[in-house]
Amino acid sequence: MSNILETSGLTVTFGGLNACDKVDLAVPEGKFVGLIGPNGAGKTTFIDAITGYVPTSAGNAVFSGEDIGELKPHERAQRGLVRTFQSLELFEDLSVKDNLLVAGYDTRWYSFLLDMIYMPRKDKDVEEQIEWALEIMGLNDVADAMPSDLSHGRRKLVGVARALAASPKLILLDEPAAGLDTAESQILGGHLREFLDHDMSVFLIDHDMGLVLSVCDYIYVLDFGKIIAEGTPQEIRESDTVKKAYLGEEAGEIQAQAGERMTYNIQGDQGGQDD
Amino acid sequence: MNQFLIALIGGVGTGALYAMLGTGLVVAFRGSGVINLGHGAVAGYAAYVFNELRTSGDLYLPWFDIIPEWGFLRTLRINNIPTRIHVFDFEMYIGKPPLIPTLLLSLAVSVLLGLMMHFLVFRPLRNAPILGKVIGSVGVLLYLDSVIAVNFGGQNRSSSGFWIFKPDMEPVKNFLGLGGTIPRANFSMLYAALVMGLFVFCLYRYTRFGIATRAADENEKGAALLGYSPQLIAGINWVLSSVLAGLAGIVFLHKTQPSLYATLVVGALGAALFGKLTSIPMTVLGGVIIGMMSGGGVQLANNSWWPDWLEIEGVRTFMPLLVIILVLYFQGDKLPIRGSISVGRQPHAPASNNVTIGAIFAVGFALILSNVFVSKWEAVLTTSILATLFMFSLTVIVGYLGQISLAQFSIAGFAAFMMIRFVGDGTLQRPDDYYVITGVNMPTILGFVCAIAAGTLLGLLIGLPALRIRGVQLAVVTMSSVLAIEELLTKSRSLMGEGAASIQPTPSNPSWFGQYIGGFNKETFRTDYWKYSLFLIIITALVGVAVVNLRRGNTGRRFLAIRANERAAAAAGINVKNAKMLGFGISSAIASIAGIMLAYKIPAVQAENFAIFSGLGLLAFVYLGGITTGYGAVVGGLLVAGGMMPEFLGVHFGDVERGMINAVGAVGLILNAIVTGGEGVALLQSDALGKGPLALLRRNPDDDDNSETDEDNATEGASV
Repeated sequence: MSNILETSGLTVTFGGLNACDKVDLAVPEGKFVGLIGPNGAGKTTFIDAITGYVPTSAGNAVFSGEDIGELKPHERAQRGLVRTFQSLELFEDLSVKDNLLVAGYDTRWYSFLLDMIYMPRKDKDVEEQIEWALEIMGLNDVADAMPSDLSHGRRKLVGVARALAASPKLILLDEPAAGLDTAESQILGGHLREFLDHDMSVFLIDHDMGLVLSVCDYIYVLDFGKIIAEGTPQEIRESDTVKKAYLGEEAGEIQAQAGERMTYNIQGDQGGQDD
Repeated sequence: MNQFLIALIGGVGTGALYAMLGTGLVVAFRGSGVINLGHGAVAGYAAYVFNELRTSGDLYLPWFDIIPEWGFLRTLRINNIPTRIHVFDFEMYIGKPPLIPTLLLSLAVSVLLGLMMHFLVFRPLRNAPILGKVIGSVGVLLYLDSVIAVNFGGQNRSSSGFWIFKPDMEPVKNFLGLGGTIPRANFSMLYAALVMGLFVFCLYRYTRFGIATRAADENEKGAALLGYSPQLIAGINWVLSSVLAGLAGIVFLHKTQPSLYATLVVGALGAALFGKLTSIPMTVLGGVIIGMMSGGGVQLANNSWWPDWLEIEGVRTFMPLLVIILVLYFQGDKLPIRGSISVGRQPHAPASNNVTIGAIFAVGFALILSNVFVSKWEAVLTTSILATLFMFSLTVIVGYLGQISLAQFSIAGFAAFMMIRFVGDGTLQRPDDYYVITGVNMPTILGFVCAIAAGTLLGLLIGLPALRIRGVQLAVVTMSSVLAIEELLTKSRSLMGEGAASIQPTPSNPSWFGQYIGGFNKETFRTDYWKYSLFLIIITALVGVAVVNLRRGNTGRRFLAIRANERAAAAAGINVKNAKMLGFGISSAIASIAGIMLAYKIPAVQAENFAIFSGLGLLAFVYLGGITTGYGAVVGGLLVAGGMMPEFLGVHFGDVERGMINAVGAVGLILNAIVTGGEGVALLQSDALGKGPLALLRRNPDDDDNSETDEDNATEGASV
């Protein structure tokens, strides 16, 4: 089986720090691959690098047989390498369905002329894909709502649905479960494997060990920018390196989150007085 | 060579003014994160107040009597608002009122302006998206410029200056042995700029207030946590900025013109950007350099080898633009980002689902009022429709795509002049025409198409910076381009023909398919020919429907996606650069059509028809109507000076009334930015039409951050 995405020696440097250090990673076609690692391990930087949002300083990335190192972000997206964002980044001025339509349809040079006389191109495949994306993310009832009217969790699901609407070959999910409530988490977790049935491969980054271990075919573990372990969920679960690097950090992370909440509350109070 | 050096040094005077104004711009920016496009007008107002005090002893407050004497409002008999205080009696002060009290009074007006800008405009807009802040500063510019026109009559003022700034002082002869003479006032201006720069520099470096400002500039939240109120700091800086502007304006008194002051902001922007909006010494240096470049450029242009088509005045206006573009291109990513991160809600841009009904309704209404049937409203109707047609271009570029281009009206002018050139055949068009326009003698339709193509190309050129910069920086570039386009292209005699610099006759016989469609009625000798009205209504309706349809389709969705989030738009596979160019192209094509249609209407056009303030006024009114929808452009067109609404209120033409309408428009613009975030008074939008006017009352009060402010209540009361 061929690999849809393959990186070799991928390195991203910020100042003197290697946020990603010679990362070798492969996503086989039609498989569900996960990347885990503690906060600051370089997971999001890795996605930013392969989608063209940060420049790589060494190594290369090959997507379905093509070196994509020189391509712009939108060119990578057009080739079927589509990502979600940890920080939502929805189109706030468009309804949920319009958010999906934007990603679903590509344009020709003359598209605007057709739009002007209101003869938009209707593509059955695209419409079906969008219907499916709304359905699977449980967003049918809010298709015409504005993203700002939704809960944080459902906004997150809109982000995933938008990526699905683009009919990607490989979808890169950046912590899709973070900030979801239990019900939303279940919607997401329950359907993740279904993505594979729609001609796509999945690359998942998440904190939720349970989620990653339950849905992935193969898992990479990143720490301080380096791949420290890889294997099937079973192997990862039993790996001592992983336990030390990742699970050991977990306690510290809970504390860090508690601290963040405190800061947030303080800032919230300050903001209140300001007004 | 000596002459060139003398010319360079001769530019120092203007450069010093740029430096002083730039210093004030930096102060306001550091205090509040706003680049105030109205800064030059602030300087101008203080200068006029000073001049008026010295000549007539009257103090004019920065507003005018809003309660007009005309129309039905006269019958209300409301007491007028005081605008003029007679301070100095000439019998007491023989000759001139004393200098120091005059100066202090003028600066007191500057303080008042600073407080007004802070409390009435920028404080309420502190959480508005960038568009809102830019619109706020455009409002300040338009308001003050209009009030200057109303209160001071808009004539040139010649003033003798004072102290070391007297223009008639003995010039410096043989400066540095170069042989030429240099006005002494140039050096005085330079001293003034250096003193001002040094003062602000020390203020920021060594005082507690200055340190607090710098802290708030770098990290507003952090400064707030240390107990400094960012809004208090901003307020003080606004007052300081306004007083600095006033001083600069008064110092520069020896050559004032009503619009000159407001447009001087372009040079000041160049200076401030040269200082990266932070460094006062670099800003002063930048201002002086720009002034010297202009002086030197003009000297070069006087040479015989200089190409004719590069007009001298164009070279002068191009220099600030050149500096701005260079700084933004090479340093754009290093400029402070404060105020350029979009916070707050962008105006909602709903897709309209009943375009046909709306279009039929609007066209029917227009036809009924037009002289296709009766002819009473003809002149105002076509003015309104032309404005609406132009405003559709702003709907696309500002409303949909979120790119604040202030140059679209110049593109309209450029296209109008190009059309005249394309169809020009070298014959006298009308017996009383002054100039004969030679050209390529194209048929009307071909000339129409080619002129649109030319306007579109220019629009794409102006849009190029938008690929790298956005938000307020783009507003700065496009505003600076306006003057350069006017002086370099539209007024260029070698490009546009003999009348370009003064009065350019339009083709006397524009005909489409054998039908004369010019606005000039050959029987009545008035611009009221009915076929023109019909033609204009059809074109406007087609463009309007196309613009609304654009929003309904994928192109509009892509534009809005880019407006919301360029990063995410790229992730959704959108080629952001292409889409921006497409937006600029469509918008410029529409603007070109509007310009050409205006040229069809009247027997002659002037570059002044497309002047910067007319363009900003149109932006004000479309923003007031609603920048994001087709309805907004229709409403905006009805509101413009010379259009339907003022006519219904009984306001007739004339500079003063035009100024008043623009000032009212500016106030409305600012209120609209604060209250509705730019959705405009066209709340009878697509969905509201469907659900009835009750939809208006459905507005969520949480939407507005400042729902308790007075302005808010006032306008809500007015609009419901």
